[in-house]
Amino acid sequence: MALNGAEVDDFSWEPPTEAETKVLQARRERQDRISRLMGDYLLRGYRMLGETCADCGTILLQDKQRKIYCVACQELDSDVDKDNPALNAQAALSQAREHQLASATEPPLGSRLTAQPPVPRPEHCEGAAAGLKAAQGPPPPAMPPDADAVACTQTALLQKLTWASAELGSSASLETSIQLCGLIRACAEALHSLKQLQH
Amino acid sequence: MAVAGSVKTALQVAEVLEAIVSRCVGPEGRQVLCTKPTGEVLLSRDGGRLLQALQLNHPVARIIVACVSSHLKKTGDGAKTFIIFLCHLLRGLRAITEKDSLIPENFQTFERRWKTCCQWKFISQALLTFQTHVLDYIMDQYLSRHFLSIFSSSAKERTLCRSSLELLLDAYFCGRVGRNNHKFISQLMCDYFFKCMTSESGTEVFELVNDCFVELNVSVTGLPVSESKIIDGLVLHRDFSVYCPADGDMRVAIVREIIQPLFSTSGSEFVLNSEAQFQTSQIWIMERTKSIMKHLLSQNVKLLLSSVKQSDLVIYYARLSGISVVDCLSSEEVSFIQRIISFSPFVFPQAYLQCEISNTALVKFCKRLILRSKRYVHLGLISTCKFVPHCIILCGPVQGLVEQHESALYGAFKMLQQLFKDFDLNYVKKVNAQSDTLSPPLYKNSRKSNQLLRICNHPIRKPYQGTGIKNNDELEKTQYLKIHSNLPVSTVELETHISFSAPKMMPTDTVQTDEIWKCLPPENKRVTDDSELIENNSTRNSITENTRIEVSYENFQVTNSAGKGSILPVKYKSLETTCISQSCCSSIPAGCVLPVGGSFEILLHYYLINYAKKCQRLEEIMVSKLIANALLGIPQILYKQKKGYDSFPQVFLRTLPTLQTDQPMINCQAGLESVIGKYHVLTSVLQCLTKILTIDLIISIKRQPSKSCEPDSEDELQY
Repeated sequence: MALNGAEVDDFSWEPPTEAETKVLQARRERQDRISRLMGDYLLRGYRMLGETCADCGTILLQDKQRKIYCVACQELDSDVDKDNPALNAQAALSQAREHQLASATEPPLGSRLTAQPPVPRPEHCEGAAAGLKAAQGPPPPAMPPDADAVACTQTALLQKLTWASAELGSSASLETSIQLCGLIRACAEALHSLKQLQH
Repeated sequence: MAVAGSVKTALQVAEVLEAIVSRCVGPEGRQVLCTKPTGEVLLSRDGGRLLQALQLNHPVARIIVACVSSHLKKTGDGAKTFIIFLCHLLRGLRAITEKDSLIPENFQTFERRWKTCCQWKFISQALLTFQTHVLDYIMDQYLSRHFLSIFSSSAKERTLCRSSLELLLDAYFCGRVGRNNHKFISQLMCDYFFKCMTSESGTEVFELVNDCFVELNVSVTGLPVSESKIIDGLVLHRDFSVYCPADGDMRVAIVREIIQPLFSTSGSEFVLNSEAQFQTSQIWIMERTKSIMKHLLSQNVKLLLSSVKQSDLVIYYARLSGISVVDCLSSEEVSFIQRIISFSPFVFPQAYLQCEISNTALVKFCKRLILRSKRYVHLGLISTCKFVPHCIILCGPVQGLVEQHESALYGAFKMLQQLFKDFDLNYVKKVNAQSDTLSPPLYKNSRKSNQLLRICNHPIRKPYQGTGIKNNDELEKTQYLKIHSNLPVSTVELETHISFSAPKMMPTDTVQTDEIWKCLPPENKRVTDDSELIENNSTRNSITENTRIEVSYENFQVTNSAGKGSILPVKYKSLETTCISQSCCSSIPAGCVLPVGGSFEILLHYYLINYAKKCQRLEEIMVSKLIANALLGIPQILYKQKKGYDSFPQVFLRTLPTLQTDQPMINCQAGLESVIGKYHVLTSVLQCLTKILTIDLIISIKRQPSKSCEPDSEDELQY
């Protein structure tokens, strides 16, 4: 017990490592985001129920049509979603770099691919967010769970690249063009790193 | 479905509420728009209102909101601070117990769950003990020397000058009312306060205003807020049934029953045998009513206030006699009028008509008041109690805004009521003669702090340099008078300073004579009354006199403070005790204020951390650290928008050295807040927290159990 056995526990307690601190920080930020979103919904007239979500443990909300809504599951990404390279170009880049450093042969991506959320929101994919502000982009392609991860990533990047170039050609706004160029550059860099990985 | 009640659930709920409330806290806070399911929109900065507008089915959320509402009903202030502080406390508790909760709850065994529940009960017990024993002690011993007073005290009486009240009310309203209106509303409140209070007014006036606030204000929609005003007398929320304008002195009579005699009284039978009998009875009734009216007129009663609807016959004869009638008044209005004018209702004797009507009262005037399209009765009352009746006409473009201003004014009155009362502190002190190292610094500091005299008001600054006051460079925009008149050491110094600067202390005398509320201090104040001093201020004086001696209060007599001439000798008896627990009584005097912007939180944080360093008991150390860290959350949110020099870390770092060297706090913010209000928020939050922590299990049921079956156990929560 924390108060009574504090002397005993203190000797065995160590401060969290940097990785753990990062995880704690990320969790806290996620919790803050959830609270803010829930507060927004409450102000819009949603009702806070006394039950929690079975998946994530967040308190459930109910809207005026009596539909139950979980803020964390249906709106925020899960914790691991942003690490999924199939949906996130940044994740693909960082993964490629990690493999370069560790000089591993096959990145263990199988487990992460299974953790896809049912309806991922396109805006939260960092690589795709810029291009999607002007128009609705195509939804991210559904990945077969046992495909070769690098090939999947390449296909996804090439698709995004072609789409972005098509959009760039038809775009009239300066803002959009700049963002599309940024997207193309990111995709090209990712492809480059992937090609280096393969060789 | 049963859910384990835990800090995690409570923290989730509290964080959501904090996310809502933190947007509108403080002077930089913005309006929050809340849409109700019915489609109504609420735009407000008032924390209590927002919380009550939310749809919350979660039991812990409902407990929290219920605690906030009951706190607001008593004190009128602090809903947002409550939520923020509660949230930080829960975060702190979770951090303390996080290492125990690494195992997910579904895997906990029964023993582990039971241990967790006992742990929370233990923690909540420790919190309560801390609040009752240690918090009062710290408030009394350490924080009290930093308190400022809203009163400016002279030798015989205390006065409240307008500028200090304005500072207090400005700070109150700028966190509650929209930015374009808060200055106006606080001016309105100040005007109302000074118009209603007489020099003998005491705290019973606040009770009267708080009880009858609904009768003392009139809402008018469709006019701009700047059209709000204060008018003399009372406005009744009804129109005249008969209006006969009259000049000069007139009397008013209040009736609670129908004047016209009825055919029969209850319990008796009225038997009619013929038409003629019926007509005779009717004629008799008419004649009787006519004579009653004539009699009223002969007594110079020109206004009849009735709490029931009078019949047409009465109205007709009243019109003939020239008596104005207002009927269907609410019983609260009638009782309010009776409280102010103090006369009793008029009862008509059945038998003899020519009786003396003694139950009338004089009024100054009575006329019709038209506000927008509604008509009211405007009465000029001659008050017999210490309250000068005035009415506030609150205008606003929409009903919602007027209601918000009304509740803000109501809350301000409650806050002032709490501020102008002494607040008793009781604590048990364990004293060890060897370890009583806390006293010497206390002694020194009290000496030092009493030499600072800063006088209340804007225009006067220069003359103080002649009185030898230290820290002249600290003269800010507004200055306040510190009262430590209970300390015998300081009375001599206080006297000299006051006598020198007395003519300058109330500059508003020359400017506006009606802007000062001179009050004779109530019975338990320490300025004039000797005997009461003993009961209230024993322990503080004992410690400052002698660092090593503990005194029981029966043996102690206190010097009177300045000016009275009857100075009692200071006697004390030394008790040689090594480790005794003394129950000490003290109080926070009325009118104690601190500068806004987190001064109270920073001070209490500092002294709690110091206390934790010197304390022996483990629970007290943990609880004081927990509370101290949670307290800083409030000024952090207040200073969130500020950057650089004004940001919270900078302010905190500047304040710490002044506290460590025991200098007074410098605060550049203009604005005051009531210490008692802050203290109440603190205690309310701790009690709410103990309530939440003692929940073991939340069981949801579909409907309320019928009354016949017994409740299952303490830990069943229904909604």
